[in-house]
Amino acid sequence: MTALQPVPPGTVASLLGVTGGELIRDGGGAVTVQVPAARLEAAVHHLAAAGARLADLFAADGEQVMLRLVWGLHAERRYLITQTPLGSAEYPPLSDIAPAAFVEECEIYEQFGVRPVGGKPLNRVALPPHAGPDFPRLGHQPLQAPQEAHAPHAVGGQAFEFPFGPVRQAGVESLYYGLVTSGEEIVDLYLFTWHKHRGVEWRMQGRSPGEAIFLAERVEGLSAVGVTWSLAAAVEAALGVEPPPAAQLTRAIALELERLYNHAAALAALCQATGLAVGQAAAEIALELLLRVNAAAFGHRYLFGVIDAGGVRRAPDPAALRGGLPSAYGELRRAADALLATNSFMDRLEATGILTAEQARRLGLVGPVARACGVPIDSRLDQPPAPYAAHPPALAVREAGDVLARLRVMLDEAADSVRLIRHLLDAGAGTGTAPLPATRGSGLGWAESPRGEALAWVGLDDAGRITRARLRPASVRNWRGFDDAARSQNVFTDIPIIEASFWLTVAGTAR
Amino acid sequence: MSAGPGGREPDPAAVSGAAAPPAPGGDQQETAVRLRQRIQRQFGRSLHIRTLDTGSCAVCEQEIRLLAAPHYDLHRLGFFFTPAPRHADLLMVTGPMIRAFDVAVRKTYQAMPGPKLVVATGACALGGIYRADAFVHGSADAVLPVDVWIPGCPPSPLALLQGLLVAVDRLSEKVAGLGFTAGPPGVPAAGHAAPAEGTSR
Amino acid sequence: MPLWFARGIRRGIVTTHYPARPERSAAGLPTPPAFRAASIDAALADRLTAVCPSQALHRDGAALIFDVGRCTACGRCQEAAPWAVTPSGEFELAATSRAHLVKQIRLAAGEDR
Repeated sequence: MTALQPVPPGTVASLLGVTGGELIRDGGGAVTVQVPAARLEAAVHHLAAAGARLADLFAADGEQVMLRLVWGLHAERRYLITQTPLGSAEYPPLSDIAPAAFVEECEIYEQFGVRPVGGKPLNRVALPPHAGPDFPRLGHQPLQAPQEAHAPHAVGGQAFEFPFGPVRQAGVESLYYGLVTSGEEIVDLYLFTWHKHRGVEWRMQGRSPGEAIFLAERVEGLSAVGVTWSLAAAVEAALGVEPPPAAQLTRAIALELERLYNHAAALAALCQATGLAVGQAAAEIALELLLRVNAAAFGHRYLFGVIDAGGVRRAPDPAALRGGLPSAYGELRRAADALLATNSFMDRLEATGILTAEQARRLGLVGPVARACGVPIDSRLDQPPAPYAAHPPALAVREAGDVLARLRVMLDEAADSVRLIRHLLDAGAGTGTAPLPATRGSGLGWAESPRGEALAWVGLDDAGRITRARLRPASVRNWRGFDDAARSQNVFTDIPIIEASFWLTVAGTAR
Repeated sequence: MSAGPGGREPDPAAVSGAAAPPAPGGDQQETAVRLRQRIQRQFGRSLHIRTLDTGSCAVCEQEIRLLAAPHYDLHRLGFFFTPAPRHADLLMVTGPMIRAFDVAVRKTYQAMPGPKLVVATGACALGGIYRADAFVHGSADAVLPVDVWIPGCPPSPLALLQGLLVAVDRLSEKVAGLGFTAGPPGVPAAGHAAPAEGTSR
Repeated sequence: MPLWFARGIRRGIVTTHYPARPERSAAGLPTPPAFRAASIDAALADRLTAVCPSQALHRDGAALIFDVGRCTACGRCQEAAPWAVTPSGEFELAATSRAHLVKQIRLAAGEDR
């Protein structure tokens, strides 16, 4: 295969040189390179040194476990997938080079039984404690259960450690975490997310793309458009299919509407966390109006049922959008402006939950959380899917990395989403689905969900059914930033504020 | 919160999914119905709701949160959210009842003093999205004694309000009398056709 | 604080009057389907069954069994047969018994398999 395809420029070419790897596929937006297990460590060193961003790490079962790393090549505006067949139950330790990989290493161990060399303790992240040998896994049970090690605490005086959750205050998702405190201050916070594990990737095996899209909508319903777009795009990349241009515009409209209502919901949550009932009510009015715009435009308050593999199932109602969106956004704008002028609100947000750019890069954070630390990543600009190349968004970046910076990024994005929706409507959004051939293939898909880059990878068999679906909503990445943000000089009452500013879901990470 | 006598306090076996105890007969049945109606009337004036997420996709929670938002304002109906199961009269359950949740579900339910109601909320809790398997029980009534079922994916805040009002007997149930059949073209879709066979009220 | 007070007064009341009065915004909600039984034979019933992603439909002899509790109002059955399946417009679906949500719809005369 290598002889027939031209070698891509830049990082990929140098990678091939360093590792003696083999170019498997150049799909335009994503390049796949096979790297032998013996050269994997060298490959990771090389890519990390070249500034590539490790976006995901996952495995697939087969004769040998296939380890795949997805890298974002910023300068070249595309993704690189390295795939490595593992001949043994161990592979080179990647999280020493790319710390962003640690949580995925734990997950791979629980699902496939393969682990990094070195015997470093791995935590239980994916599967519940009662998962025995017969529990459905994507691969094989590990020989030893995960050790559940947490960072040792060094506190002057006594530290009190207690579990919090999973059942929490009314109307919020179940979330289970361990809190270490010396009184008021948060010494450490570590999340357990296995209690909401529904095994969605396992369920998708053997299903058709259409069936998988239905499940994908319900992985993280608040990012239904983002997650299903990433999965649909992966299927389309695998099959070499492109949705009709009118459908691509519709996808972007739905995604921007999703971004809008999520940011309004985050604002309402911030008001609730800071105890500002009136501000919360104002934000909730805006949120409700935006959800009604979604229902009027696409027939569902949360935009379920829009994306399909190959295109979209529904076209937006332009009159409903043009008529309803300006006033709904106006509510959000006025509420936000009033809040940004309210000192009791601003005091709680400034210098709370600070993350540095270095932390964001090291942990591989995405979305508004990363952009608020000054890390300029946005997959709509970095690897633009079809409609965004012609209608690029404005990059919303702040430097402070605190709750206020995250809020400002979200508000900037909301304003930009309104502008984008207008342009996309004018460009002629419609409906339509390209037919899908029933054939073998694999591909990577992505979309910039409200929480950040959502990735998906699929492998299809000869009948076009899924052999392996990898879903990586943005929440999978960003929860690890929550631990760090909570630890930085904060007290208990800051936790809900920080959580609201991240605006993630447990469902999206537990899947 | 109601201080009514009696009320249904199911045994722990029921909470873990074993068969329900046999129903009382005759006079006892009538008394039980009247008691239940009295309790529901008490609840109807002031009801405290505890929510329980057993594995939802987070959208049902967003609709539930909006019940307290200005457009819906459940407080005007005498309904309130409470963070403490000890103060709760009604348990609003979302999600397909992931098995890893069993302990938390049992503790939450048992921490609620009787009388209490359970409302299964959304398609997941009604068995629509996930079947029973190693990950999930598949529906709320596999673990809890459910009083009211609210369909929807997600059920809108209006549907949730109707469900709560039905739970406290302030609105009559409507869906039992709906046939979901439509007449010939030209006639508006009649959800109110004569009840089809198999439904009863 | 006067800022917020003035805003609130100007904004007015947005609260629904439901259930005392019907809520207009309900018209925009997705609702479970209603089936034009006269237009559905066994073959179409089987097609609708196959198309439903949450297994809310199945055929039992000459009846189409519709479980409203499993329905997500996704609209796929309506897309598959718009002459036979329309939105019911019903959103008040709370049931005091799970059986109340399972509907039997007698199909048009046709091959009874």
